[in-house]
Amino acid sequence: MKSRSMLGRSVPGTSLIHRLDARVKFIGAIILMVVMLSARDIRILGFFLLWTVSIMIISQIKIRLIMKSVRPLMFIIIFAMLLHLFTVEGHVLLQLGILKISREGLISGGLTALRLVLMVINTSMFLTLTTTPLAIADALESLLSPLRLLRFPVHEFAMMMSIALRFVPTLLDEADKIMKAQSSRGADYDTGGPLRRIRGLVSILVPLFISSFRRADDLAIAMEARCYRGGTSRTRLHASKLSAIDIVFSFLLLGLLLLVFAVEPLLPPLVWI
Amino acid sequence: MIHFNDVSFTYGAAEGQLPIRAVNHVSFHIKKGSHVALLGRNGSGKSTIARLINGLLVPDEGSVLVDGMDTTDSLDIFEIRRICGMVFQNPDNQLIGATVADDIAFGPCNLELPIDEVNRRVDEALQKAGLSDLRDRAPHHLSGGQKQKLAIASILAMEPECIILDEATSMLDPMSRRSVMELILELKEKSDISIVQITHHMEEAVLADYIYVISDGRISLEGTPAEVFDQFERVHAEGLSVPTHIEIARRIADRTGMPYRPEEIFSFDGAVSFVRGVVASLSPLKGSTDDQDSSAVPFSCEPIVTESRSFGDGSQEIDRESVIEISNLSFSYTSDTGEPVKALDDISLSVSKGEILGILGHTGSGKSTLIQHINGIIPSKKGTVVVLGRDLSDRKTVRDIRRHVGLLFQYPEDQLFEETVALDIAFAPKQLNRTPEQVERAVLGAAKRLGVDAILHRSPFELSGGQRRRVAIAGVLAAEPDIIMMDEPAAGLDPSGRDELFADLMTLVDEGATLLIVSHDMETMARLCDRILILNNGNVAGCGTPREMTSSAEFLKSVSLDIPSSKQFLNCFVDLFPTLDTNCYTAKEAADALVKAIYRR
Repeated sequence: MKSRSMLGRSVPGTSLIHRLDARVKFIGAIILMVVMLSARDIRILGFFLLWTVSIMIISQIKIRLIMKSVRPLMFIIIFAMLLHLFTVEGHVLLQLGILKISREGLISGGLTALRLVLMVINTSMFLTLTTTPLAIADALESLLSPLRLLRFPVHEFAMMMSIALRFVPTLLDEADKIMKAQSSRGADYDTGGPLRRIRGLVSILVPLFISSFRRADDLAIAMEARCYRGGTSRTRLHASKLSAIDIVFSFLLLGLLLLVFAVEPLLPPLVWI
Repeated sequence: MIHFNDVSFTYGAAEGQLPIRAVNHVSFHIKKGSHVALLGRNGSGKSTIARLINGLLVPDEGSVLVDGMDTTDSLDIFEIRRICGMVFQNPDNQLIGATVADDIAFGPCNLELPIDEVNRRVDEALQKAGLSDLRDRAPHHLSGGQKQKLAIASILAMEPECIILDEATSMLDPMSRRSVMELILELKEKSDISIVQITHHMEEAVLADYIYVISDGRISLEGTPAEVFDQFERVHAEGLSVPTHIEIARRIADRTGMPYRPEEIFSFDGAVSFVRGVVASLSPLKGSTDDQDSSAVPFSCEPIVTESRSFGDGSQEIDRESVIEISNLSFSYTSDTGEPVKALDDISLSVSKGEILGILGHTGSGKSTLIQHINGIIPSKKGTVVVLGRDLSDRKTVRDIRRHVGLLFQYPEDQLFEETVALDIAFAPKQLNRTPEQVERAVLGAAKRLGVDAILHRSPFELSGGQRRRVAIAGVLAAEPDIIMMDEPAAGLDPSGRDELFADLMTLVDEGATLLIVSHDMETMARLCDRILILNNGNVAGCGTPREMTSSAEFLKSVSLDIPSSKQFLNCFVDLFPTLDTNCYTAKEAADALVKAIYRR
């Protein structure tokens, strides 16, 4: 009912980003994470900012929804920024007691924050926002399929993942309901000694576990009733072949990797840093 | 197409638990294209029978054949499950896919169909179930009714010959229930699909071609709906109810000795015209002079509650102490899609001590949001909520007021967590720091009231659904609240389980408690409540006595509620008996009123 985190909640659409193969997006998200964190040069980061904005425009997803995925990590981002702000030595701009803010700290803190924000937006853009959990699970299954040679139950693992993702919102609603119900019975989660609080937690977790087991049981029966028998011979719904946009996108990713690891070291340093 | 030959099934036989014989030497045959209803109390073995049909369970004795295939044959089992698709009770626990289309594709993918065929079937099923617009929606963004339609669509994609509905409508509100049933009937009409329906709702059972009543794992009564419901006393004894119009007509036939045929009174119109026939033959002097006499004394059939409690006539309310005062309360939240939703819009309400207030309205009308404001679970932001003379805008007051206001959520059995029933019921009084003696007394009192005092030492998780419900309710009552709010306390119970539960709950009022009951069921609420509040889209659509609230069928239709069926029946006779009091909420009362009116003439 209420909006919580964007975890496991994809936004339907038909944009280029939505149409990319989930496997490409999955690997892409990892590559983007690496390049965003590795980039040092402000010009490269500026280019990434441009890249991110273009991706956001292409995806046609409302900016408010994108920002929602950044919010849970805001605390870490601000913390990292402050850490840089106060610890990096250099030309002092402002002194507050023992705290010193240097020009270098300011730049470094700002760049860190930018880097983190870009990273979060890119990964949520490619993974959570434009890709359904099922497609991610299928992609994982496909990417992990070599492990089958080692007797790893790849299909079952992927099915497990996708069901877990499917039930995240349901369980969040359930937890909310149980918490309200126990509060109505006098449970108090904010005050009282640690013992009382732990007891309070028990009154939420036990019913939640039990109902999850019951759901799992029901779901297993429902799956069986629909002829599920595990195994690998099921028709793969999202067994898509790589299309032209996937190949173009893969080259773009390669370009980004080269930009950070081959071009950046060659760039002449900026004078004012 | 489905043959049960002397089938028995016992639970727990293998695991060394106490064996429970759920199905006991049952034989029947379901023909292709027929619509069969399985009725019976909670725990009578209906669901077990359903699971025996598609081989989710296999019989200990006897055999189950589907299209000539034995369910114990492991080679045929997947074909049997394809032929007999099954829709389960809980909409949330049977959807597997992350989107509507993915969920429909799950079955065909298991059948190892080529991808083009899977996609064709998904499109076809979407279109048949009327879900084409929701193709890419995530299941948790659907309403309960839409989820059940999706479950049906997912089965259609496997091209079954039979759909088994295992209480598939029991967690839905009346509107969604009807639209799911319409879909089922449409499917039955268009294709030659068989329907096996397990239900507690008699209005669904009457749609079947044939009914089996199951009790203690045996078929105790069977026949066409007209034949089964004709034996209304037997049906009541089985814990079920009879469509009101049939019972009224039957009672009038018995009382007046007029001959009837079961088929004749089976439909609502048939029952009305039968009773009109009775009136015509018994009062040949229709429209004669004693009209005057009859108009002087109205034929009254006061609802039971008003007889004994004489409350809610409007006149006596003045000297009652008010316990809940809500003024100009509004509440809105942001939905998943980012749009603000107005759940409550400028609600004002006052509830007196000892009153029974029914809160009715369709899903999303704001009923649950309203009661959650009254014990401060949702803090009031716009408007004021004053409970027992204290304003809930102060957080400290909220904590204090909760011990006086009990709130029972829907499906409260989900909140049980302790090792024994006694400990679970004791949770609330312990939280209030009562002395051990007080706690014990409260636990015993609450357990006795709900009839669970004999199972106090058992684990709540080994009880039946109905017993768990009662334990959970006792857990709220043990705090000895002055105001008790209940959200659909009888949801999913069989008709007699529902009546017994309400009878037990009504004893609270004799001890001075105030009750607020949230429900979709106008018939039961009209019978039990002093006053009824009708919400519609977060607004108060009406508030008054059951008599006032049920007087206009158009009004009730506009807020998606049903007119109580006994009243609807009596309304067909006001032209013959202008002074007939139509405020009857049980078939027996309605029949009494009509018989009285007939003989007075």
